Amino acid sequence: MRILILGVGNPIMGDDGVGIRVARMLKDKLRRPDVEIKELSVGGLKLVEEMLGYEEVYIVDSYSPPDAEPGRIRESTPDQFEDTLHPSSPHGTNFTVALQLYRGFEPDRIPKRIMIFTVDIDPEFTFRESMSAPVREAASTLTEQIARDIEQTLAPK
Amino acid sequence: MKNVTINPITRLEGHGKIEIFLNNEGNVENAYFQVPELRGFEKFCEGRPVEEMPDITSRICGVCPEAHHMAATKALDAVFHIDPPSPAKKLRELLYSAFYVADHTTHFYILAGPDFVMGPNAPKAERNILGLINKVGLDVGASVIKHRSAALDVVGMIGGRRIHPTCGVPGGVSKPISEEERARIEEIAKSEIEFAKFTLKLFDDIVLSNKDYLNLIKSDIYATETYYMGLVDEQDRVNFYDGKVRVVDPEGNEFAKYGAADYQQHLSEHVEPWTYLKYPYLKQVGWKGLVGGKGSGVYRATPLSRMNVAEGMATPLAHVEYKRMYDTLGHKPIHSTLATHWARLIELLYAAERMHELSRDPEITSQNVRTIPTATPDEGVGIVEAPRGTLTHHYQTDEKGIVKKVNLIVGTTNNHAAISMSIKQAAQGLIKRGEISDGLLNMVEMAFRAYDPCYGCATHTLPGQMPLDLNIYNNERVLLRRLTRH
Repeated sequence: MRILILGVGNPIMGDDGVGIRVARMLKDKLRRPDVEIKELSVGGLKLVEEMLGYEEVYIVDSYSPPDAEPGRIRESTPDQFEDTLHPSSPHGTNFTVALQLYRGFEPDRIPKRIMIFTVDIDPEFTFRESMSAPVREAASTLTEQIARDIEQTLAPK
Repeated sequence: MKNVTINPITRLEGHGKIEIFLNNEGNVENAYFQVPELRGFEKFCEGRPVEEMPDITSRICGVCPEAHHMAATKALDAVFHIDPPSPAKKLRELLYSAFYVADHTTHFYILAGPDFVMGPNAPKAERNILGLINKVGLDVGASVIKHRSAALDVVGMIGGRRIHPTCGVPGGVSKPISEEERARIEEIAKSEIEFAKFTLKLFDDIVLSNKDYLNLIKSDIYATETYYMGLVDEQDRVNFYDGKVRVVDPEGNEFAKYGAADYQQHLSEHVEPWTYLKYPYLKQVGWKGLVGGKGSGVYRATPLSRMNVAEGMATPLAHVEYKRMYDTLGHKPIHSTLATHWARLIELLYAAERMHELSRDPEITSQNVRTIPTATPDEGVGIVEAPRGTLTHHYQTDEKGIVKKVNLIVGTTNNHAAISMSIKQAAQGLIKRGEISDGLLNMVEMAFRAYDPCYGCATHTLPGQMPLDLNIYNNERVLLRRLTRH
């Protein structure tokens, strides 16, 4: 089975880069040939294109809803973002539309399982490499959790 | 008439916001566009080795990291006083042309296309690429995916990665390409030319042949008279990678032409207390506020601007399309903001043709792709055309190449003033005597979507879009209505 971990975020925008941090910690923790780990600072179409051809994908990202609780970890699937199907982003399509697009055109290459792990953050507007304490702790917790999930999934039956 | 003073507008945090202020008669007096501005970039860069800048700056924005990478690489050439060998410049331009093909294809089919193909009043659920594919057919959708992907393959072959290319180094690029790669790039380029021609035909059939759309493109509500800016080659033709910056006035006369190192002699930045956004303007004309015309230093840098400042396109098919656009719209410069979408497609064709030309250049597989710098670094400016506008990177270092100071003018920054002006104009056409037309939000959004603005927001936070509020206030600054896009 080919598994991909995609850490998404901006590594020079503080808590926004939590996905990248988790990806880097997992690189140290999980040294397995059947698990690939990538870092991305892009969204939409490019994000979906990076996922094609894998069986399972873990996306790790920050999340900034109106009721954000910095450090809170959420687990979702793409279906739970259905209501964002209508992009207003002026420069690209969002992840949900991109995924639907590729489901239509490259259905065999879409991963069978896509899990989205997010860490709540307050909106970030300042360039920095450090993270706030709750988000840093959440990154460590999430790293352990994903590593355990993957080891269990890949353990010989 | 009561004067509406903005005193103060709350600084924006978190959302994009359009504020429209009405006068006594219920007509639009002023409109302002605000987004959260990213802060502390210069401080972040101070103390770092300047060679890190192509990587750092490509993280500023998840939409066009390639443009930042290229501008940063050129700035490094200047900082280290090194001129790359000719094959290296051609490889950089080849990568950059492929990036433009991917970017402009995406923009049209994701964004502009749905606006026109589905119509501005189509339900939200249909006004996206999925709705467009439903209307024009699955084959078209498959072709979009295939051609976008192929263009990114070219970026990957030259740049080391499809996303976040890493090939730019001071004095050249990090590796040559093989003959096998060259041949593949040539094949891809041929296909991209056909696809660009097809896309222009689609635009012709769906948009230009539709009188209502053509009138919309020509209408006053979307026309803003400003100065224009873009890079041109020695024959004053559009070039994305290199050349001189040319500025023309609202009547099309050359106003300025300068090399990258001289940009600060021509541009200044105006600051308003109520926004983090800076407003670059032409120093020699002066800042007169958010107004257009020859007496105001506001300028635009967009695909349409690039065509307005140029005398033509450097490739044959694109040049024919360029002439057709000016013949159809009747004059040069074109002030109609919506024509930017047409200009973008002409650029798509040019980028594909340029890819093809460069892939067949005898030097393109040369092994001579770098000259190692030996001079002491100090200061340098690199300018490229980002898809969204002229992109300027300016670095100052100490004698060891450690960054002391950074100044960037990103593509969209050039257009900050013009975006507010375009929004105001669109709103003026749609709000009369206090009556707000249906579809106001989308028609106003069409004005700023033509700029394809990139505000460098957090690159990805799910669900991946910037919420936008449009607030309308009466002459006493009481909020009448809020329209929201989330």
